[in-house]
Amino acid sequence: MTTQEKQSPETFIRFSPLQRLLHMVVMIGFTGLAVTGFSLKFSAQWWAHGFAWLVGGAGHLAYLHRFFAVITYGCVLVHIIWLFYFKLVLKGSITGPQSLFPKVQDIKDMFQHMGYFFGRRSIPRFNRFTYWEKFDYLALFLGMNTMGLTGLFLWFPEFFTTFLPGVFINLAQVLHLYEAILAVALKFVVHIVTTHLRPETFPVEKTIFNGKTTREKMMHEHPEELDSIEV
Amino acid sequence: MNAFMVELKKWLPGQKRFGDRLLFCLTLSMALLGPQCPEAAVTPHGQPGWFIDMGRFAASAHGTFSCEQCHGDMKRGQTMHPDSEDPFFLKGNANRQYDYKRCNACHKPVFEQYLIGAHAKVLLKQQTDPPDEYNKLPEKQKAPTCGNCHSSHYVKGHLSRVEIGRQMVSVCGTCHPAQSATYLDNYHGKAAVNLGDKHAAFCTDCHGAHHSRSLKDKKEALTACKRCHPEATEGFTQVVIHNTTRDLPENDREKRAHVALIRVVTVLMTILVLLVVGFFYGHSFIWMLRELHEKLRKHK
Repeated sequence: MTTQEKQSPETFIRFSPLQRLLHMVVMIGFTGLAVTGFSLKFSAQWWAHGFAWLVGGAGHLAYLHRFFAVITYGCVLVHIIWLFYFKLVLKGSITGPQSLFPKVQDIKDMFQHMGYFFGRRSIPRFNRFTYWEKFDYLALFLGMNTMGLTGLFLWFPEFFTTFLPGVFINLAQVLHLYEAILAVALKFVVHIVTTHLRPETFPVEKTIFNGKTTREKMMHEHPEELDSIEV
Repeated sequence: MNAFMVELKKWLPGQKRFGDRLLFCLTLSMALLGPQCPEAAVTPHGQPGWFIDMGRFAASAHGTFSCEQCHGDMKRGQTMHPDSEDPFFLKGNANRQYDYKRCNACHKPVFEQYLIGAHAKVLLKQQTDPPDEYNKLPEKQKAPTCGNCHSSHYVKGHLSRVEIGRQMVSVCGTCHPAQSATYLDNYHGKAAVNLGDKHAAFCTDCHGAHHSRSLKDKKEALTACKRCHPEATEGFTQVVIHNTTRDLPENDREKRAHVALIRVVTVLMTILVLLVVGFFYGHSFIWMLRELHEKLRKHK
């Protein structure tokens, strides 16, 4: 989303320090949430017993889950504040072609990319963010808000049932659980495979940690963006 | 005891009679190896559990009692148990025949709670309404007495709250399996039974051990909720804890609708998760194959 600053012709800064920091904190928070949450959901399993014992019981599991929830949602809030700053002060575009805003072009890209999987079409010329990166981001961004909301229902059921029927707590529980399964199944498998473990990037994609990417990678992965920088 | 001393004196040095010694040895070995308290037999002959396991009994909370303290002299009229004429005299299902008023002698408060509780009410109704029908009821459908839930001979004392609670969930679950299963699927059951959190609620924390309240009455339910959730309101009592329609009266339309709604949302979410995860797993897998293919082709 930021305009690219050129360090040398060969190196580009893809992620700002704030974005890298938020990614690190969300990574830790999300993992903590998954481990503590699933230890409770699957509490009859031996590994859940082990983990609950390690942290000191069900009460501590619940406390840690809420702790990780607060720091993870804190990142969402910081990100939202930054989006406002980016839009209002830096006069950036949060819906333009360089943004993470979903477009019709992403659907077209997806079908073309899938054509490439079967050797029928070439790799689409991706802009700054590809369709799967947009999906990763939007799924997490929306997911954290819905998980946060259902999580609040489960955190303060006494408060929410003063104006909502009691069954909403049960529905929040179901939504929280299935969304957690969805998020873990996507982030711990699809996200890691597509960003790190694919033959193109294996063994690790460092861009999100040091912010740097090379001209060669830009040409291969984000040619549209490179074109717009070097116009 | 006197007979014992007489035998002992006969056997001691100075007494040379072989037959008496043999008799003494036989008596002693029978006393040591034979059943210790045959009066405590409770099930018809030939079935397991005929005799009380004295080792376990001695380790139980009642282990210091003599048999007579609870069972009296085992007489009806002039006939005494065991009766050589009638092998089934005073034998039968102890849960139905034992006079549980004797428990009242030591356990007065809980006995009184039981008498005003739901289990005792149902028992009274079953025994009085159609008087002959009661005996025909299968054992599992008869309302429980003390002995159905508590083992009088093997009950353990000084158990922790969690140990008692874990036993309780399986005891209550023998007659209320759907309730026990749904409790274990609920946060309360997971924290209390699975993770041993003593602050979480077991069956009796809400329903009362001896009152056995169904909590269908919203005011009763609210009192129960408020023990741990002091800020609870009437809406809070409508949170579904036992997510099942089993044993639910036909006219409880509200809970039936809630259970159905939870089920519908669960099914929809499952479909959503399977579709999204299925698509992206397939997407990533085929992508991997394509990139592997490209790499290998480059190496050639």
